[in-house]
Amino acid sequence: MSTTAVRFLDPELLARIGSLELLARAVVEGFMSGLHRSPYTGFSTEFTEYRQYNAGDDLRYLDWRLLGRTDRYFIKKYRADTNTQCHLLIDTSASMNYAHASSVTKLQYAQYLAASLAYLLNRQQDSVGLVAFAEKVHTHVPARNRTGHMRTIFGNLSLLEAGGETHLAESLHQLAEILTRRGIVVIISDFYDQPERLQEAFQHLRFKGHDLVAFQVLDQNELDFDFTDPVLLLEDAETQEQMPVLPDVVMAGYRERMRRHVEDMRRCAAANNVDYEMLTTKQPLDFALFSFLSRRAGK
Amino acid sequence: MSFLTPLFFLGVAALAAPILVHLVRRTRARRVQFPALIFVRQVPQRTIRRRTLQNVLLLLLRCLAILLIVIAFTRPFFSGGSAARDNNAAGATVILLDNSLSMRREQLFAEAQRRAEGALDDARNDEQVALLSFDKRYTVVNRFTTDKNRVRFNVRSVSAGWDGTDYEQALRGAESLLSEIETSGPKRIVMISDFQMPGWTQAGATFKLANNTQLTTLDVGGNNPPANVAITNVEARGVVFGQKYLDNLVVHVSNFSDVPRDHVQVDFQINDQTVEKRDISLNTRDSRVVEFTGFNLNEGANRCTIDVVSGDFAPDNRYYFTMRRETPAKALIVESASRGRSDSLHLQSALTTNDDLPFSFTLKSAGSVDPAGIPDYALVVLNDTGPLNPALADALTRFVEAGGQMIVSTGPRTQADAFNASLQAIAPAMLREAVQTKAGESVAITDVKFDHPIFQVFQESGRLASANVIGYFRSEPRANAAVLARFEDGSPALLEARAGKGRVLLFTSSLGPSWNDLPLTPLYLPFIHQMVSYAGAREENSWYGLGQTFTVATDKEAQEGLPPPIDTPTGTRLSETRFTPEGDLLITAREPGFYRLRYTKRPDFAAVNIDGAEGDFTKLNFAEFVAGVTGGAGSAEGSAANRNLSNEEVEGRQKVWWSLLLVALLLLLAESFLARRTKVAKMVG
Repeated sequence: MSTTAVRFLDPELLARIGSLELLARAVVEGFMSGLHRSPYTGFSTEFTEYRQYNAGDDLRYLDWRLLGRTDRYFIKKYRADTNTQCHLLIDTSASMNYAHASSVTKLQYAQYLAASLAYLLNRQQDSVGLVAFAEKVHTHVPARNRTGHMRTIFGNLSLLEAGGETHLAESLHQLAEILTRRGIVVIISDFYDQPERLQEAFQHLRFKGHDLVAFQVLDQNELDFDFTDPVLLLEDAETQEQMPVLPDVVMAGYRERMRRHVEDMRRCAAANNVDYEMLTTKQPLDFALFSFLSRRAGK
Repeated sequence: MSFLTPLFFLGVAALAAPILVHLVRRTRARRVQFPALIFVRQVPQRTIRRRTLQNVLLLLLRCLAILLIVIAFTRPFFSGGSAARDNNAAGATVILLDNSLSMRREQLFAEAQRRAEGALDDARNDEQVALLSFDKRYTVVNRFTTDKNRVRFNVRSVSAGWDGTDYEQALRGAESLLSEIETSGPKRIVMISDFQMPGWTQAGATFKLANNTQLTTLDVGGNNPPANVAITNVEARGVVFGQKYLDNLVVHVSNFSDVPRDHVQVDFQINDQTVEKRDISLNTRDSRVVEFTGFNLNEGANRCTIDVVSGDFAPDNRYYFTMRRETPAKALIVESASRGRSDSLHLQSALTTNDDLPFSFTLKSAGSVDPAGIPDYALVVLNDTGPLNPALADALTRFVEAGGQMIVSTGPRTQADAFNASLQAIAPAMLREAVQTKAGESVAITDVKFDHPIFQVFQESGRLASANVIGYFRSEPRANAAVLARFEDGSPALLEARAGKGRVLLFTSSLGPSWNDLPLTPLYLPFIHQMVSYAGAREENSWYGLGQTFTVATDKEAQEGLPPPIDTPTGTRLSETRFTPEGDLLITAREPGFYRLRYTKRPDFAAVNIDGAEGDFTKLNFAEFVAGVTGGAGSAEGSAANRNLSNEEVEGRQKVWWSLLLVALLLLLAESFLARRTKVAKMVG
């Protein structure tokens, strides 16, 4: 992938793009254009087969390289024809409003990622829906594939604001009852909930036939706890609980516990056949997209 | 505990600094929203609690260090070494104020009074204080009281005296006073003096203070006593009978300094007239004897003075004494009538060679003596008279009983029975048999009482034993008789006894050459003179020391028969009221100079002198003194250790500030070490 493309997928740069739609297009197109030169070999999620060009076919799907080689006109056939329903679940609890050194909060990153995924899925002719939740589901855009639906998705995405406590497991249980048609459920959250409860929620969704993809979005400092202050008064964004800490004293213990939590999440996801990826807000979105697409290609 | 510079306590405000920092830093802890608090809570709190404790400990260490530094700057001290004590119970203090003669020099006594008032200022309000002044004796000026103003007034009322110094008796007096008061607080003696050596000697020390009595010495004399030349003694006869003084008038002059003195002029005056001047030199710490003789005296009392012209301490540069020239009294020598040479030839010769005897002698035979005329004499000498006629014997008996003096010697003519019958009432002994030694043999006079005035002059020579005695009477002494000498066989040779108001001396051998060769020996003259002088009993002091008591006889010329009016050397009239049983007035000498006794017929004088040793201002050995009177508490620096130190000196010795700063430094080092370990963080509680 070209440097320009990578830079273009940098969340902090993306933050300058005011429109999520534009951002999503830029991300996906940039991602896709770099796919052929990407190090991710063997990746061909979208292209499945050739058929001969018929008049009226969209020239966008003409394989120009093959034309160059064979002087014959072939159209690439994509998997987009499956028409899968994809539900993007965004955690908008107050904890998602955290950004340490980065200018991109976890929620913003989740928005970028959701927008990108929505664009990507829509490009594949999949239906995309949006669910936002905190203490409960507060935004639900059913999955559709109509013209103009993406504008609705992007519009709702851009209106999302962080607030409220995290009741992730309850929200997932609730969603399991709401989402009647099987599809792909992409959960974008920081997953600050007990893994045992999440496991039940995952099982509930899986029982309903959904494929689950979990993106745990964290700020790098949530992993490192790299505070230089001699003393800090930490405040929980959701409960406003304050806790004075000595970072140098707490750091090692906190990192260990965070590492264990991520590990528990990974195990929980693996045990329930959930595609899980932990992302930091510093990471370019191509990684997330690649992870999503590669997992989808593997299924 | 007391503080020299208490104002530095304002520095305690600096304690607010670490506390303020602690509080300020508390409010500056950054508030940060953190979503993963759930995991922070899971970190064990004991680490944080330990840090909390460490931070509190750091705060305490810093505060304590600052506090100790502040206290160090206030210069604290424990005031047990000064007059002000930190003992909870009020005690009792005796102030001993030296008002001896040596305190008259320069401004010593004024300084001593000032120090005494200073000791009063240091005393607690509820502390009992007493004031004693002392020289050779102590005087209770103020008994124990808490009224410091009264004691202060009495301190100012005391003046320097004339007498010498005795520290031991002063301390005895102080301790005696302290033993009378009951107090649970400390007992203390504050002794203020110039601490001169003559006031105390280790060899003569017999007194130690009680263990619970603290001695504080205040030295006002300084460490460089001035040089001084003083007359320390004059030896002179108080009564003479001749115009010319034939004995030696001995004057003792001393140099109490470490520098020699040349051309010291010694002036001798009689009745304010210069008799003679001498120019002497004195070495360092030297004493010289200057003698005068052959000068004339007027009849009656002569006021005599010796002066040294030295320009130093004046009171000991003059010595007073009196010499009275009196008319010899009449004396009678009675001998047996005989033909040829008188038996009293040697006796009479001995008695007429010296015109300074108190008597003028008349020689008569026993038969020619008029008994009625006996009372005209002051002394009768019976020289081997033989039996006396009853009238004469009776007259002699009455003479002695009325106060007359008699010397009786025996010899070949003496008959024991007649002697005993005639003089039994007054004789010191009953004569027994006469003893005659064999031819060629003799006995000596031994067992002599050399301490008797008659024999004192023979003490060193011992030549009485050289006389050969061939005849004597054995005798049986009466109960009231004293045997003054014995012969070899133990028989009394010389006896003395009082009879009525008079006195009789009995020599049991002869005063002529008939029974011994005493008249042929050089002993005879002084022996006769000593007996006569003793019988005359006319010796008296030429001077008295301060504090001595002398008697003043009644004025026989006065109608009332009372003692005469007496003026002190400074001219004030004495009003003494102490009398002897005989009616003589008792006077205690309190001032140096001449006391004028205003007799009707002719004035008389009594000379009084200071203690010459008081002119030695040499400092006593403080270490020995303190150790001697306190039982070992002294040292080479005893004076400095025991004198009443000022607060600054006490603080300077204790150096409590040094210990405080050292502890503060250790605390800061501990704080630095602890802070480095805890990264200097404070917990918000």
